[in-house]
Amino acid sequence: MEKNLECYAVEFEAVSTYYYGERRPAIRDITLRIPAGVLALIVGPNGAGKTTLLETILGLLRPRNGRVVTLGYEIPRMASRARALSSYLPQDFMKPPAEPFTAREVVAMGLASNNPAGRLSEGDWKRVDRALEMLGMLEYADKPFGKLSGGQQQKVLLARAIAREPKLLLLDEPFSAIDQETRSHIVSEIFPSLLEDGCTILLVSHELDHSHIDADMIIRMADGRIERVIARDVHAIH
Amino acid sequence: MSMLFINSIIGGVFAGGLCGAVGALCGRLKLMTMAFSMAHAALAGSALALVLGADMTSLAMLFAIMTAIMLGPLADYLGVSLDLISMTLFSLYNALTFIFIISAPGPALMTESIGQLLWGSILAIRPTYIAYLLTASIIIIAFLAIFWGKISSILFDIKLAEAEGVNVKAYKYVILVIAGATITLALRITGGFLVFSLLYVPAAASLQLQASMKGIIASSWIIGSASASMGLAMSFLYDLPAGSCITIAALILLASASAYSKLGASLASGRRQSWGT
Repeated sequence: MEKNLECYAVEFEAVSTYYYGERRPAIRDITLRIPAGVLALIVGPNGAGKTTLLETILGLLRPRNGRVVTLGYEIPRMASRARALSSYLPQDFMKPPAEPFTAREVVAMGLASNNPAGRLSEGDWKRVDRALEMLGMLEYADKPFGKLSGGQQQKVLLARAIAREPKLLLLDEPFSAIDQETRSHIVSEIFPSLLEDGCTILLVSHELDHSHIDADMIIRMADGRIERVIARDVHAIH
Repeated sequence: MSMLFINSIIGGVFAGGLCGAVGALCGRLKLMTMAFSMAHAALAGSALALVLGADMTSLAMLFAIMTAIMLGPLADYLGVSLDLISMTLFSLYNALTFIFIISAPGPALMTESIGQLLWGSILAIRPTYIAYLLTASIIIIAFLAIFWGKISSILFDIKLAEAEGVNVKAYKYVILVIAGATITLALRITGGFLVFSLLYVPAAASLQLQASMKGIIASSWIIGSASASMGLAMSFLYDLPAGSCITIAALILLASASAYSKLGASLASGRRQSWGT
């Protein structure tokens, strides 16, 4: 299927991002365009700059050089608008057993952040439960988040990301704790449904074997640079 | 029963409750060193008021809130962590407090005002003070009730909340300003050195008893109120420093909460064993 070539979800022009106090950029001189509505896989070894790339897209890290545009909004100047339309599943998601929120509350927070005062309507709560159900976590909705296993915590956070109905979904190692069966369900059922709704998915993985993911683009990174972009039926400029 | 005693208990209920709730929020957000720095800013402000003959609460509030506002930008400007800049300011405020106390009119460390500043006094609890506490309580409860969705997101994970578009910086500043105002008000009954007993001991006690964030904040409020009113009653009855009595009362409640929690856990474990699960 030919993707929309006119509209880009993410545009990078000669972008370099540094961590505070570092002389060496974590990502350097990156030029990349990711069309809207695609599933892009970002691969590479540890320290390649994959997480930095995601956090620069959302303006969580400020680029020192270059220009970043996410969902049509200049980053970091209009980052809050881009963030409101995006969802992020971070790599370091584990919480301790004493975490004082239930799984349902954690998913609800994802919707609260897009409402003016953070209040949820009855429809919002239905969306929360639907997202939990999609990931098979509805029966654990009232359990404390910290008492869930690592894989269950990751599923709840993925439910939170999906419940926001994002235009851009950024997933950092989303399968690190998830079992094979759920992984297949996410890849074969949930991702296609999100893409059909016009969502762009950027998925970071350090795994060498990613044949189970039907990606439109594969962006290979190493040492803070993009080594190679393989695109299928999409125009990605590198 | 004297009016002073009744006022003490009412004042204690509000001041303790406010401190307990704010302490639970600051503890969760890892703002403890910042609250520490603001408490000493308020102490320095109160001490300066003694030198100038000005209103202690107003100057203490000004110092604490100015500190809350400038901590973040100052840390960014100097390129150091918030904790480090908080402890740097803490040293500065302590130095200023001692200079102001020594410079205050009358024999140093002998006046009622300085005693109130250092270890608190039930004489500080007047109807105007109770009105301030009531106003602050209403503001905090309204803030938490209206913005709970976004506040809970920040309390769960700051980075994730920020990534989803919550203005984390603004909410953190509001919480810091609220903490500054609360500390300033509590300072008058606990004194500058013991205000932390009302901020953090109730939060520690409620963590023994509650599993949900709302429960932790609510029970911190109740335990803070109980600590302050018990402590002030002790201070009134035995003519002891209010701050010390409040600290002892708070620690007794912490020990009781911990014992209750451990007992509950061992009874539950015993029941599981007797059922063979």
